[in-house]
Amino acid sequence: MRAALKPLWRRWLAKRIPPAASVRLNQRRIFILPSRVGAVFAVALLLMLLVGINYQNSLAYGLTFLLVSVFVVTILHTYRNLAGLVLKAGGGGAVFVGEHARFRVRLESPERERQAVALGWPPSDLVVRDVPRQGQTEVDLSQPAVRRGWLRPERLRVESRFPLGLLVAWSWVDLDQAVLVYPRPLEGELPLSAGLGDEEEEGMRARGQGADDFQGLREYQPGDSKRRLDWKAYSRGQGLLVKDFAMLSGRDLWLDFDSLGGDSEQRLSLLCHWVLQFTERQQAFGLQLPGQVIAPDYGEGHRDACLRALALFGARA
Amino acid sequence: MSSLPGIPRIALTWLLVAQVLVIVPHLVHLPLWMIALWLGAAGWRVQIFRMRARYPNGWAKGGLVLLVLAGILLSRGTLVGLDAASVLLIATFTLKLLEMRTRRDALVLIFLGFFCVVTAYLFEDGILAALYSLLPVTALLTALVGLQHSGFAERPWPPLRLAGGLVLQAVPLMLLLFVFFPRMGPLWSLPLPNDKGVTGLSDSMEPADIAELSRSSALAFRASFESEVPPRGQLYWRALTLERFDGRRWSQSGYADVPVAPQWSKAGAPLDYNIIMQPSGKRWLYALDVGEMAQDSGRMMNDFRWQRLRPVDRPLLYQVRSWPEAVRQAQAEPPGIRQALQLPQQGDPRSRAWAAELKAQYPQSDALVAAVLQHFNREPYVYTLRPQPLGSDSVDDFLFNTRRGFCAHYAGAMTFVLRAAGIPARVVAGYQGGELNPSGNYIQVRQFDAHAWVEYWQPGQGWRSVDPTFQVAPERIEQGLEEALTEEDGFLDDQPFSPLRYRELAWLNQLRMSWENLNYGWQRWVLGYQGEQQLKLLQNWFGSFDWQRLALVLVGTGALLIGLLALCLLKPWQQRPDPQRQAFRKYERLLARHDVRREAGEGARSFALRAAQQLPEQAAQIETFARCFEQQRYAGGPASRDALRKALSDLRSALPWRLSR
Repeated sequence: MRAALKPLWRRWLAKRIPPAASVRLNQRRIFILPSRVGAVFAVALLLMLLVGINYQNSLAYGLTFLLVSVFVVTILHTYRNLAGLVLKAGGGGAVFVGEHARFRVRLESPERERQAVALGWPPSDLVVRDVPRQGQTEVDLSQPAVRRGWLRPERLRVESRFPLGLLVAWSWVDLDQAVLVYPRPLEGELPLSAGLGDEEEEGMRARGQGADDFQGLREYQPGDSKRRLDWKAYSRGQGLLVKDFAMLSGRDLWLDFDSLGGDSEQRLSLLCHWVLQFTERQQAFGLQLPGQVIAPDYGEGHRDACLRALALFGARA
Repeated sequence: MSSLPGIPRIALTWLLVAQVLVIVPHLVHLPLWMIALWLGAAGWRVQIFRMRARYPNGWAKGGLVLLVLAGILLSRGTLVGLDAASVLLIATFTLKLLEMRTRRDALVLIFLGFFCVVTAYLFEDGILAALYSLLPVTALLTALVGLQHSGFAERPWPPLRLAGGLVLQAVPLMLLLFVFFPRMGPLWSLPLPNDKGVTGLSDSMEPADIAELSRSSALAFRASFESEVPPRGQLYWRALTLERFDGRRWSQSGYADVPVAPQWSKAGAPLDYNIIMQPSGKRWLYALDVGEMAQDSGRMMNDFRWQRLRPVDRPLLYQVRSWPEAVRQAQAEPPGIRQALQLPQQGDPRSRAWAAELKAQYPQSDALVAAVLQHFNREPYVYTLRPQPLGSDSVDDFLFNTRRGFCAHYAGAMTFVLRAAGIPARVVAGYQGGELNPSGNYIQVRQFDAHAWVEYWQPGQGWRSVDPTFQVAPERIEQGLEEALTEEDGFLDDQPFSPLRYRELAWLNQLRMSWENLNYGWQRWVLGYQGEQQLKLLQNWFGSFDWQRLALVLVGTGALLIGLLALCLLKPWQQRPDPQRQAFRKYERLLARHDVRREAGEGARSFALRAAQQLPEQAAQIETFARCFEQQRYAGGPASRDALRKALSDLRSALPWRLSR
C-alpha cells in the first residue's frame, strides 16, 4: 500500500513544491500534525478531563481546557517557526564513491528568528540549527556517495517542533541539488599504452607543456603550479618565473579503458586512481574511453575533466 | 528526536523549580517525610548533572520504591483511596527525577507534573489555589520549551517568557471552552478525599459536640435569596432530627431514615433561594422548613429532612423553595409518632415529676409548652459555651442545679420534659441565622451558627417548632453567637487571627466582606459551573438552545479567536513584497508582452538599454521608469510608489495595446 502510493505522493509533491534552487516555505508548503509527544500529551489531557468529569471539578476542567488551548496556540507558533523561511541551495564539491557527498543549504530568515529548524534525509538524523533574525545559517548536510555519476538526493525534509515539541511542522523541498560522484580510486598495475600507434617514431618533439624536459623559464601565470616557481630567480629579483618543461610527445601517456581487464567499474576505478596519480606527479596524460577521447594534458582542470568523464561514463548512453 | 540523551541545564533547572511549585500545595496533606524525599532526590539529581554522582542502579531504585510504599502504608494506613494515591503520585513524580536520563524521561516527568496539579485541585479549589496553579503549569511548560534543541533554550529567561506568552494567548480559548464545553455527570464513582478534617453536625449529639462546633469559623453553606432576606430570627436551617435519647446523648432514630416523604400541606408565601453547601461528608442538606427541591438534588425523609444518595463531598449548589407556614403531619397519629415519646426506662426523676406536675396544671399541649418556655425565661438560666459538667442524671442536674448551658442543653431538656408530659417532641439539629453580606444579598452560615431547637406534635396542628434558647438568650437568635456570649466565654478565642473576631474594625470587616463576596462568586460561577448551572446560563444567553447550536457557537468563536491570534502572530501585512519590486515585476511583464524578456541575472540598467534598443519608440519612457526605479532602489532616493506607478502607466500608454504575445 505504502509502496504503491509513493509515486503518487511524489508526483503530488512535485506539483505542489516544484524543485527550485531557492524555496520559500509558505502555507502551501508546510504540513503540520501532532508529533508522537503531542499524541501522548493528548492522552494525558483526556485523562485529566476524566478527572474533571468524574470529580465534577471545575478547576480540573479549567486546567484541561487551558492545556488544550495551549496546544492549539502552539500550532500557530510551530507553523510560524517555519513560515517564511527561505532555503537556498549552496554548492557542493565532487566526491569519490565511498566518501560523503556534502550539500550545503543556506537558511535565510527575512523576518524573525527561528529556533531549532531541523534538516536532513530521514531516517538518518536531522541537523538542527537556529536561524538569527534577518540573518542566515549555513548547514552542511552529507549523504554517502554509493554510486558514481550524479548524486541527486531525495527531497529534503525541513521540520520544526519548536516551541513545545507537541507538534511537528514539516516540508519536503527539492533544492535541485546534485553532486558529481567520481569512481572510487583503485590501486593497480597499469598497462601503459604510450602514444597512439606511432611508437616507432623516435624523434622527440616538444609538444606543449609537460614534465619531462626543462625548456627554460617563462613568466608566471595564474594557474601555474607553485612547485615549478623558480625561487632562486625570485630571490635575485627577477620576478616570478616558472620553470617550463616540455612534454615529449613520443612518450605521451594514454590511459586506455579498453586495455584494462576486469569489469567496467573496476576499470573506471583503476583509471580514476591513475588520473589522480599522474596529476599528482604533474605528468601529462590522455584518457581514452569508448566513445570519448580526452587529449593529453595536465593540470587540475584536465584532471577534473577526466574524472567527470569517468564519473559519467555510460550514463548518457 | 525526543529520545536523544541529555537534558539541558536550563531544562533541568526549570524542572526542579516546577517540581517545587507543584508539590507546595500538596504539603498540607502530604506526610512530612515527602519533603525529605524530594530534597534528597533533587540533590542527587543535581549531583548527577555535575557528574559527582551516578544514576541509581536497579537495587537502589527498588529499595527506594519499597521504602516509599512502606512510608505511605505507615502514615496513611492504606495504599488505596485518593489520599494514599495522591501521596503515591507525588512520590512517583519525585522519584522519577532520579531516573531521568533522556528527554523522554523528562517528558514523562512533565506530564506527571500536570497530573499532580490536577490532583491538588481535588483537595483545595479556592481562588488563590487556582491562581497559584498557573505558576507550576507555566514552569512545566517552560521546562518543555527548555527541552528543545535550540540555542534559545540555553538561556534561562526566554523559555519562561515564551511559556508565559503561550499561557496568556491560550486564556481566551480556554474561557470559551470552559463556558461551552458540555458538562456531564460522573462516568463512574471514584474515591474522594476523606472528610477527616471536616467539622460539622453529626447524627448524634451530646451537648459538648455543639460547643465544639461553636469554636469553628469554617463555612457551612451560603444561601442567596431571590427576594428580600428574611430576618435572622426566622432562619432556622434544618439539617436532621434527633429522636432517640439514651439519658445522655440524642441520636437519629431508625425511623427517620424511612425515605417516605411525610404528609404536609402548603400554606402562606413561599421563599426561593439557592444554597451552596460546603463539603460536609454527610448526606443531609440544609433547608428552611418546609423545603421543596428538585428530584435530583435529594429526597425528603420521614422527618422532613432532605437527604442525598451520596455524601456531599464537594461544594454543592441546589435550589430550594420553602413554605415557612406549611402545616406538617396534621393528620391523626402519624406513623412512627411513638418514637417521639421515647424516653429511657429510668433516670432524671425530678424532671419527670416536674413534667407530671405541668401536665396536671396544663392539659393543653400549647399551654404546657408555653409554660416550659416561660420557665426558661423567668428562672436564672445562663447561656454559656462553658457549662459545668453534668452529673449522671443530666437533665435533672441541668434543670435544677447548674442552669448553665447552651442550645443543646435547652433543647434536650425541653424535649425530655415534653415527652415526659406525654407530648411527642424531638430535637432538631441544624444552623440558625447567618451573616448577611449586604452587597451580595446572601447569607453565610458558619459552623459556629450550629444550633438545636425543639419541635413538638399535637393532633390537628401537626409539628411546631419552638426554641427554648430564645427565652434564655434572645440575642443569640437575633444577632448571633458573638453577642450572646459573655466575657468569660470569649468568641473564637482560640482563633486570635480570625478576621471574624474583629468585626468592629470597619475597614477590616469591609475587606473581609469583599473577599467573601469574591469567594461566593467563585463558588457560584466557577466551581458550581456544572450541568444544570451551565444549562441555565446558556439558556439565559441564547434563549432556547440546543447542543447543535452550542457546537456551532463554540467552533465559530474558537475559529475567530484563533484567526485573530494568527493575525497577531504572523503579521501577514509585513510579508508583502516591497512596492518597488512589485512595480518592477509589472514592468517586466509589460515588456515581456512586447517580446522583451529580462534574462536571468540581467540587471535593471542593461535590461533597460536592451529594451530601449528593441523598442526605440518607447525608449524615453523605458529610460524614465528605469531611472526612477534605480534611484529609489539603489541610490537611496525617497521611496515613492506613485512615481513608479506614473512612470509605468506612461510606458503602458506609449506601448501599443497587447494582451499577450
